[in-house]
Amino acid sequence: MRKLVRKTLVALSSLCIAAGALAQAPAKEIRVLLANHPYGDLLKAAIPEFEGATGIKVNAESLQEGQLTTKLTTEFATNSSSVDVFMTRPLQEGKMFYKNGWYEPLAAYDFSDYPKNVMSVATFGARTYIVPLVTEWQVLYYRKDLLAGAGLKIPASFDELEAAAKKLNSDSVAGFASRGKGAAAVTQLSSYVYNYGGLYLDKGVAVFDSKPAVDAIRFYGKMLGNYGPKGVTSMSWENIMPLFQAGKVALWTDASVFYGQIIDPAKTQVSVDKVGIANFPAGPKTNSPFIVTSWGMAVAKQSKKKDLALKFIDWATSKQLAAKGMQANITMARSSVWEDKAILARINPGLVETRAFAAKNGYPLDRPYMSAVGEARDLIGELVIDSINTKGVSPNLEKMAKERVEKVNELLQDTGEYGK
Amino acid sequence: MIQSSFTERNLQLLFPLPAIVFVAMLMVFPVLYTSYLSFTNWNLTSGAEPTFVGLRSYARVLSEPRFLHALARTFAFTLFAVVIEGFLGVAAALILNRAFAGKSVAKLLLLLPLVATPIAVGIVFNLFFDPTIGLANFVLQAFGLPPGLWISSENSVIPSLILVDVWQWTPMITLIVLAGLAGLSEEPVEAARIDGASEWQILRLVTIPMVMPVILTALILRLIDALKTFDIIFAMTGGGPGYASETLNIMGFKYSFEYFRMGQSAVILVVLFVVVFGCSLGIMKLRASSEV
Amino acid sequence: MNRKIVSSALFYLAVAAIVLVVLFPFLWMLASSFKTQVDIISWPPKIFFSPTLQNYRKVFGEQDFLKYFLNSTIVGASAVGLSLVLGLPAAYSIARFRQRKLAVFILLARLMPGISFLMPWYIVFSRLDLMDSYTALILSHILIALPIVVWIMSTYFSTIPPEMEESAMVDGATRQYAFWAIILPLSGPGIITATTLSFIFSWNNFMFSQVLSMEKTKTLPIAVYNFLSYAEVDWGGVMAAAVAIMAPAIVLTMIFQKYVVKGLTMGAVKG
Repeated sequence: MRKLVRKTLVALSSLCIAAGALAQAPAKEIRVLLANHPYGDLLKAAIPEFEGATGIKVNAESLQEGQLTTKLTTEFATNSSSVDVFMTRPLQEGKMFYKNGWYEPLAAYDFSDYPKNVMSVATFGARTYIVPLVTEWQVLYYRKDLLAGAGLKIPASFDELEAAAKKLNSDSVAGFASRGKGAAAVTQLSSYVYNYGGLYLDKGVAVFDSKPAVDAIRFYGKMLGNYGPKGVTSMSWENIMPLFQAGKVALWTDASVFYGQIIDPAKTQVSVDKVGIANFPAGPKTNSPFIVTSWGMAVAKQSKKKDLALKFIDWATSKQLAAKGMQANITMARSSVWEDKAILARINPGLVETRAFAAKNGYPLDRPYMSAVGEARDLIGELVIDSINTKGVSPNLEKMAKERVEKVNELLQDTGEYGK
Repeated sequence: MIQSSFTERNLQLLFPLPAIVFVAMLMVFPVLYTSYLSFTNWNLTSGAEPTFVGLRSYARVLSEPRFLHALARTFAFTLFAVVIEGFLGVAAALILNRAFAGKSVAKLLLLLPLVATPIAVGIVFNLFFDPTIGLANFVLQAFGLPPGLWISSENSVIPSLILVDVWQWTPMITLIVLAGLAGLSEEPVEAARIDGASEWQILRLVTIPMVMPVILTALILRLIDALKTFDIIFAMTGGGPGYASETLNIMGFKYSFEYFRMGQSAVILVVLFVVVFGCSLGIMKLRASSEV
Repeated sequence: MNRKIVSSALFYLAVAAIVLVVLFPFLWMLASSFKTQVDIISWPPKIFFSPTLQNYRKVFGEQDFLKYFLNSTIVGASAVGLSLVLGLPAAYSIARFRQRKLAVFILLARLMPGISFLMPWYIVFSRLDLMDSYTALILSHILIALPIVVWIMSTYFSTIPPEMEESAMVDGATRQYAFWAIILPLSGPGIITATTLSFIFSWNNFMFSQVLSMEKTKTLPIAVYNFLSYAEVDWGGVMAAAVAIMAPAIVLTMIFQKYVVKGLTMGAVKG
């Protein structure tokens, strides 16, 4: 028996040594994790140029966004990571990664080309950890022909939005659509909450049971409950987009990224000239739709080749590649590409205008900004569903909101973020 | 020669040994590790190592309404699905239990749902149930019925999922019962017929009681699998709308791989394990005693 | 006479109804896989449409489905092969030495919810840097295949009369030699049943691969599920992918129909 134990130990330790030897890969080689995102694809295709110019070998893997977070989290948490550079979603995982010390601070990087509200989620304390890549903001998509047919102008306020939705709603066309699927709806609901004067979190404390926030949830539920497509409580963008493409939705609020899809003639039954894009309508209090950094890039704290990693990140977030991204209809975070006339000439003016508006007035968060964001989204999602099911008049909503706020605060306490 | 006789003497240990070691490594140890984690508060998002907290994770999860609903839902889904599959499956087997042209083709077709990839089945039914462009509502409207919301509403999501489960797994009951019927002797049926019993009486009093053990076994197999249903729910609703179709399996998956709450998810997994293990054990005991 | 015709008509009607219900989702899936996105989202659903191959071109051209196909095959074949190596001797031992407890122990792997071992695997494989490796995936799939092999083969071996190897042993052969040279060659049908069935179960498995595989070793079910990619829902492509994943299992079933039925019904009927 003792012999067996000893043998096992020997085998195990030799395994560890072998693994250690493997970890010491050739000097000029880095491991990069990318997302299955148009910009990730663009980078992957361009990597040979970088390798040719620097002689650094890049091992790049592409993963789906959920799997990317899961993989990074487990690798970092179990101290087994060999990742040097990775794409990251600042709002989804930024807080958690920063708090656990998984991001390397980027002291030498020049951030002067990025708008201020975009940088706020990349910076913690005095240091910056994430280079913003892609920006998204909330817009209103609408059917020009339907609005014109009903003699309506583009809704610029929530009241006008409701009136238009009511008028355009029929058996065959939903007057209004927005995500109704619990957790997925939370990001799209956020602009409604802001425009009513509310917030999800304020200084590390959940506050979405405040009057403005609950009013916003009621309004969202009223709109979707009365004028939304059938079964909207199980719909995220992937369910709403085909409806819009099939001509079954008149007004739709969602992120700007989908514009390219809904004007692609190969995918839609509605001709391009009938589809419009406009600023998100104003609420009773203000007009501050979300404009968020949906993707950024960071260097891993555990990386043993930080100099190479920094070289890569400089290249991967450069102005030249950002210009390339814009040409591929990716809405990049750098300011300069939005000022370059040659680039703008090829971009749809609707995107340029709505971005300018959001960049000036928008709010840089679209979800509760915390480590346990997935769970918090599920909790707020329950409120959305209840509100939609009751068309906004749920008698329990205040009480439910209060309970959910307590739970979110509990989550904040669990990870030591409460009140910070 | 000595060595071979050692092998031969210990054959009943040596032959199954590799399989035993494998199952121990990949099943028993992990289950023990999960049980250990259920006594910790390990949370990957906090970056800290697991700390022992006794029964605190149990207290937190077991008092959670979301968990209790998931537990009840798991039983409800299983019970309804298996009972419906039992009735339909036996009925279909009784219909098909005679020689007719095309019987082998019919049996082949019955096999197809059983081998169809569940995740793909779920995705296909997703489009089928879509309230706006799906075929399900078109069929309803063709018969003059009002359209339904299917998996898009809290009230109809579980029945809709049961419908998919019934479609996929009823054929298994049918095939098993058919095989059982084929093995029966003709004598008791002939005897009853000579005594002047009607076809219905023969079915009710002779055939079904004779094939009952086979029916029960088929139902037991289904019951254990239905408790663990994951793929179709994950593909079709992910547990939604809200938590309306969240079973223990789905909830455990979410807690592990979306929330990274390893300690609390371990509690859910332990409960699921105990439920399935308890059902299996109870059933085996029952069968063992009925066989005597 | 009339009554007989009516009852036989009723019977065939019932058979037709059963077959139609079973077959309908398959037919509809097949039809949708040849439709364009515009035809799929049009209402009422189109029965007549001009079929297109664009979905299949997309699945196999742009989406690298051949790679996932290969991954599924590698994982399934290796897991089944190793399960036979582990499972055949165990099944023989269970059958000949009536090791009922051992049988129950291995069958537990079939009964237990996979997720209760999956979470620890995930942690251990991460620590060993085995995530997204064939090793981890094959190990996990053996746990799917092994119980099926043991279940089917132990039943099968017990139908072979013990005299077969006993007569050889009287002639001086060892039991393990008799197992190898006499019993296994007689077990072809059983092995085909076990192989087909356990391969199909491995092929269809979603949960293990969803967690343990990433880009490199991604298997077909994950690829099909992931077809709903960022900012795009392509129902035609999804349907084509669903057809592509089901086709091999269905073809295998058609070829080995007799064996598959036997495997699925065996335990229940034999008790």
